[in-house]
Amino acid sequence: MLPTLGQRLEQSARRLLPLGTTLLFLLAGVVVWPIPYIGGMTPSLGLIAVYYWSIHRPDLFRPLAVFLLGLLNDAVNFLPPGLSALVFIAVHQLVLSQRRFFVGQVFSMLWSGFALIMLIAMIFQWLVLSAYNASWMAFLPVLLQASLTIVIFPLPAWVLIRLQRSVLSQG
Amino acid sequence: MPVRLHRTEWVTTTAISWRQVVHRFSFVFFLLLAVGLLVLGRSHPILIEHARTRVIDTLAPVLDALARPMTLAEDVTRRATNYLQLQSQNEKLRAENTQLVQWQNAALSLENENKELRSLLNYKTEPHLTYISARVIADAGGPFVRSLVVTAGKVDGVREGMAAMTGEGLIGRVIEAGDWSSRILLITDLNSRIPVTISGSGDHAILAGNNAPLPKLLYLPQDALLTPGARVMTSGHGGVFPPNLPVGVVTSTSHGTAEITPLAALERINQVRLIDFNLAGGAFNPIAARIDADARK
Repeated sequence: MLPTLGQRLEQSARRLLPLGTTLLFLLAGVVVWPIPYIGGMTPSLGLIAVYYWSIHRPDLFRPLAVFLLGLLNDAVNFLPPGLSALVFIAVHQLVLSQRRFFVGQVFSMLWSGFALIMLIAMIFQWLVLSAYNASWMAFLPVLLQASLTIVIFPLPAWVLIRLQRSVLSQG
Repeated sequence: MPVRLHRTEWVTTTAISWRQVVHRFSFVFFLLLAVGLLVLGRSHPILIEHARTRVIDTLAPVLDALARPMTLAEDVTRRATNYLQLQSQNEKLRAENTQLVQWQNAALSLENENKELRSLLNYKTEPHLTYISARVIADAGGPFVRSLVVTAGKVDGVREGMAAMTGEGLIGRVIEAGDWSSRILLITDLNSRIPVTISGSGDHAILAGNNAPLPKLLYLPQDALLTPGARVMTSGHGGVFPPNLPVGVVTSTSHGTAEITPLAALERINQVRLIDFNLAGGAFNPIAARIDADARK
């Protein structure tokens, strides 16, 4: 039996989940959080979403979407245009090439994998930005942001796992 | 013996390799596009900044909607803590109030004296100030940039170069004004340079941000005497800020440089006041300002 228009619309909406959640994570990353002691540092929530969806639903998370999300991240974070796009695309490709290893792994492996990729991504970003500004940028804040993102990883990852199970398992 | 592929098998194999080629191609394409954009951003920064202001202006309602529950949550937490500390806070405030009444008396008599002396000297008064209050909707607190986006733009009268302050002191200045939102470069940002003077000694220096929580003083005179706790104010040089806006306090000194603790808690700002001092040096683009002024005539 052919699906009705309503069913088809619903399915399309479900298929937008990876894009929608990443977008929301990006914007939530720049909103002022009521958490003291972080010292003006925000975790890279967007990178968590890019990592997660590149492993779990690359069919719904195409390079074009990754690229555009990166551009948006540059816009809202006042980074040079193309920087996050470059980092996101590189992370997406890196994760895809190792996808067989990640799929079906226990959570601790998913977390360790993220820690490694986050560090590589941040160092890469730091190098590109230093080259862009033609001077070495401070490295400590980079390390702090990477650590903060790695530490909070389970929370956003849990949200994504729940969403994937409840929304995409039926689609 | 050569193996002959069945037709369906052949189609699948070709499809997979074709998809791989497309994928590889799109990866390289987007990688090059990102690098191209970086190069374009380096050679045409103004073009890119305008595009960015447009994007943020469009996103401002979404960011505002996301920021509201956060502000509410912070408000609730603050109220709860306030309630718990009611007794001790009350006592502290009473003591502070007695002290402030004394200060008020002193200020009133000084104001009178000042007025009399000014009339004696025929002193020209400061230009009229314009205040705009705005709420913070985004805080780019990454390791590379320190800036805020606030809910007030050209429509509300914001212009580039306005000083951004909280009750405590100067936090930065408006460097991009969109229609509905504007961007404030914090004094801790790597690109922030503010001419300051140290109260007490009167030494001049440049307060330079370095993306870390404590900005530094540069170009201090060799014989500068810095004591931790000395207040740092704007000097008014360069014409961007008027003199004597409170900025911070000297925290540590070593080898002709000093770290400054900003008076405002920069990591937790919800409300800012944008102040137009009507100074000529405030605008980034003097030509655009002149065209603007001509149009108003």
